Amino acid sequence: MKIVTSVLKSLVLVTALFSLSLTAAFAQSAEEGEKLYNANCTSCHAINEKVVGPALKNVHTKRKEAWLIKWIKNSQALVKSGDAEAVAVYKENNESVMTSFENLSDNEIKSIIAYIKKESEAPAQASVAPAATASSDAAATTTASSEVSDSLKTSINWLIIIILVLLVMVIVLVLDILAKVGEIQGEKIINWNGINAKLLLAFGIVGIVASAWEIWEHGKLTVFNQTPASAHGAEYDSMFMITLIITGIVFFITQGLLFWYAYKYKHNAKRRALFYPDNHKIELVWTVIPAIVLTILVVRGLKTWTEITGDKNPEAKVIEVYGYQFAWNARYAGEDNQLGKHDFRQIGVINALGVDTNDVKAQDDIITNELHLAVGEPVMLKFRAKDVIHSAYLPHFRVQMNVVPGLPTQFGFTPSLTTAEMRQKLNDPKFDYAILCNKICGSAHYRMKMKVVVHTKEEFKKWLAQQPKLVNKTAPAAQATAQVETTSETKAAN
Amino acid sequence: MSTHTAHTDGAHHDAHDHGHHHETFISKYIFSMDHKMIAKQFLITGIIMGVIGMSMSLIFRLQLAYPDMKFPFLESIIGQWGKDGKLDPNFYLALITIHGTIMVFYVLTAGLSGTFSNLLIPLQVGARDMASPFMNMLSYWFFFLSSVVLLSSLFVDGGPASAGWTVYPPLSALPKAIPGSGTGMTLWLVAIILFIASSLLGGINYITTVLNMRTKGMKMTRLPLTIWAFLITAVLGLLSFPVLLGAGLLLIFDRSFGTSFYLNEIVAELAGGIERVGGSPVLYQHLFWFLGHPEVYIILLPALGITSEVIATNSRKPIFGYRAMIGSILAIAFLSFIVWGHHMFVTGMNPFLGSVFMLGTLIIAVPSAVKTFNYMATLWKGNLQLTPAMMFAIGLVSFFISGGLTGIYLGNAALDINLHDTYFVVAHFHLVMGSAAIFGMMSGIYHWYPKMFGRMMNNTLGYLHFWLTLISAYCVFFPMHFMGLAGVPRRYYANTAYDQFDVFIDMNQFVTIAAIIGGAAQILFLVNFFGSIYRGKRAPQNPWNSNTLEWTTPVEHLHGNWPGDIPYVYRWPYDYSKPGAELDFIPQNVPDADQNDPLDEPKPVHFDLKNTTMPLVETKEA
Repeated sequence: MKIVTSVLKSLVLVTALFSLSLTAAFAQSAEEGEKLYNANCTSCHAINEKVVGPALKNVHTKRKEAWLIKWIKNSQALVKSGDAEAVAVYKENNESVMTSFENLSDNEIKSIIAYIKKESEAPAQASVAPAATASSDAAATTTASSEVSDSLKTSINWLIIIILVLLVMVIVLVLDILAKVGEIQGEKIINWNGINAKLLLAFGIVGIVASAWEIWEHGKLTVFNQTPASAHGAEYDSMFMITLIITGIVFFITQGLLFWYAYKYKHNAKRRALFYPDNHKIELVWTVIPAIVLTILVVRGLKTWTEITGDKNPEAKVIEVYGYQFAWNARYAGEDNQLGKHDFRQIGVINALGVDTNDVKAQDDIITNELHLAVGEPVMLKFRAKDVIHSAYLPHFRVQMNVVPGLPTQFGFTPSLTTAEMRQKLNDPKFDYAILCNKICGSAHYRMKMKVVVHTKEEFKKWLAQQPKLVNKTAPAAQATAQVETTSETKAAN
Repeated sequence: MSTHTAHTDGAHHDAHDHGHHHETFISKYIFSMDHKMIAKQFLITGIIMGVIGMSMSLIFRLQLAYPDMKFPFLESIIGQWGKDGKLDPNFYLALITIHGTIMVFYVLTAGLSGTFSNLLIPLQVGARDMASPFMNMLSYWFFFLSSVVLLSSLFVDGGPASAGWTVYPPLSALPKAIPGSGTGMTLWLVAIILFIASSLLGGINYITTVLNMRTKGMKMTRLPLTIWAFLITAVLGLLSFPVLLGAGLLLIFDRSFGTSFYLNEIVAELAGGIERVGGSPVLYQHLFWFLGHPEVYIILLPALGITSEVIATNSRKPIFGYRAMIGSILAIAFLSFIVWGHHMFVTGMNPFLGSVFMLGTLIIAVPSAVKTFNYMATLWKGNLQLTPAMMFAIGLVSFFISGGLTGIYLGNAALDINLHDTYFVVAHFHLVMGSAAIFGMMSGIYHWYPKMFGRMMNNTLGYLHFWLTLISAYCVFFPMHFMGLAGVPRRYYANTAYDQFDVFIDMNQFVTIAAIIGGAAQILFLVNFFGSIYRGKRAPQNPWNSNTLEWTTPVEHLHGNWPGDIPYVYRWPYDYSKPGAELDFIPQNVPDADQNDPLDEPKPVHFDLKNTTMPLVETKEA
């Protein structure tokens, strides 16, 4: 009996997963297509440019729809069937294999194509539209001139390089001739030792000023110039500042002395160097002082490290983050507040995350393409990967953890600034947090990202409630088994 | 000055047999067993590999600076990978992988250590050749073969290995994961195994020669610091490279024979039809970094050894704190074996382990600081001959400081969370082990070129090479710190997917232009290096007035190094500007007036700062 029910249960979940991907017949609207496109295609494709895969502009006119559907669902099968067009496309793109999307229905693919059609035509319209207005000429000229200036800039860059090379060649020739003349005359025309000593001093001074300027100026571009978006961020940032100050002082003093000595003690025929091979006292001093400073850094660092990694709040909300070539998914626990188990053997076209269909707890789980968090609510991100190692990197939260296939990893933290607050602080209305992939994982590694949204608690609850569950249940949990059976019957009837 | 001391010691009679062998072109230049020729072979192969590795970096720097631009010339260089002038993202990964592999192993391990250990160990310890000249020859030819295999992987289907120079599985283990994990990856592994064989053959030889073949009087405490550095480097290599060999073999098993050492929960479809369960990808990382971290010091220590020698000679001063320098080499070498985990703070390793690795890592800063301070104390009140070699040595110290200090951020497990795998790391290691080691290598080449080729290099070109390289290296790597602090990940084909990184477009272009200038500056070096072989001024026997034994050999190379007996050694190598001496240097083979036995120590001199017997003429502007 037990076996029967568990089989039944898994059947339900499988059908549920099926139904999720087939949820009603989508209208072939560009609007639906846009969502699907953004969720499935953007890590490898763009409309107007080649990314990992080719540009998709006008693909609807280049290929037949039926062919496109076959290709998107399983391009390798099409290539292997000997389809000449497919083989040509495969070869054109250096034989890199496109991910198969057998989970997309024909209608969904049609929606995506509709969206691509809309986008392919959009820029054309945009350029036609201003032509009708009076300011069209002016607009056209500005675009043209900005294009020209861009290409001009690059050619100027190249020109600068060429001029520099020529300059170097001339300098070498002149200096060499001078050196030879000097040799013939029996006295050095160029005192290289003096020149280089001065240059070293100049380099030291310019270098120190330039690095101080850069720390000040470019330091503003770093995340350390922004309020951290997580509770532990403040601790992290103060550790960072302590290290910056200590190393900064050492950097300026040692570099300054190095180049000063190089200048001050340059060769002088009238002078002998000081024979000074040893001084145990001095050596003891400069062994002990770094040791003390480092002890401070180690102690402080250990404190920070334990605080951050020891964040094991039992009330933290567990969210699974799943990485694969080349996208992320998040999985939230439903009302039961428990994530269903997972089993890599069940990873497949329909069950992309390998959610364990035998586990009842998985039924109310929620799978999303974005990571949404509530401000002030501790979370525990549990990471899982399908294929190769990825790394979930959230620089604004001072969070990073590798996502390793077959090795569960986790990172607990508490978001402290909502997306809206961060946008205000950065004065950038379009800013979004993101998870970046930070471990080399393949050609679209650099596009493998997931949007992260931090809500207020109320907004978050509202958002979560709107997300579809793996299995939509209406009956109370007590009648789960009965419900399972009826659902399966309904499905079977359908 | 007498450079050769006559000995009637019977142990030296074999000297006369040397130099009389009949040498054909092949035995002299190709399958040579002479350590000096092998050193040149290593150096020239290393330089060729360096040019290839650096050119690769220029190609991907172009991509990073101008992600939207097309470079039609790319298609003519790299063919299908640069179709329509756009670099293929897969080939971008291949380029960074092979760039890293070439620079770390082929240039800075074999090119640096292979060249100078071979050249200097027998010459500076007073030996006629390596303990086993035949193994030495094998070492070079394994290295050569390895280079050929690695370069041939550029031409196979799917391209060369593309999983980053650390080739972490599963990316490197699953041929389906990226095109580069097919044949290219297999060839990479074969190349590395050959490389390890080369490195071990060399290392055993270096250790044996240093320990057993020192001339009379060459106590361990009289060894030049170069030799100490080469010795410890060889020990590091001997202890760590076999672990990489093990790691590589297991990876080959996973790739080709269906095992799961590094794989867990991978579905059959991805893994060649066999479900992979039970292994751990992190195991590979432990094994890899058990070599990988000592490898950093395998690269750096020879460069530091060369710097010690060059700075002391050209400051005309003893190296400050000779014993402390040896002590810090030993400390760094020991610690380098227990800190590998700092590359893995965010792999999901137990946080407690992270704490242990962090402690060890930050302790390394102490001996490193001691070395830096000792270099500066050597410069202090010296009489600096700013030869190109000396300039590069000063450059090394500067890079060592800049790059070493950022190590304190990255060695801190907590700070590593946000800095791991960002451009901050790229900046850090390119300064401390890239630029610093290259500067050490350059310093060595300029300093020992007269010994290698019997001619002098052109100084003008040397200085220009130094200045352009120093400035461009700082312009390339210093700004990268800030990209890293803003969260820009390394190994990204373009930063276009993130609006927040748009602020770095200008910086990326600046870095690329600086890199191109730096690359162009190396042409000056190549012209100087290869040109001077034929057109350089004839070198005197001891051009830098140096104390070490290699300068007591004749300018023209001969098999067996010394035409007569091997000189005995009476003192340490750093008697520069010794009070009471007529010249400002006393070579190691020159005894004090009353010193009969080489094992006796020469009379100590009083060098108290307050009672210095040497009148110091204060420097005035020249």
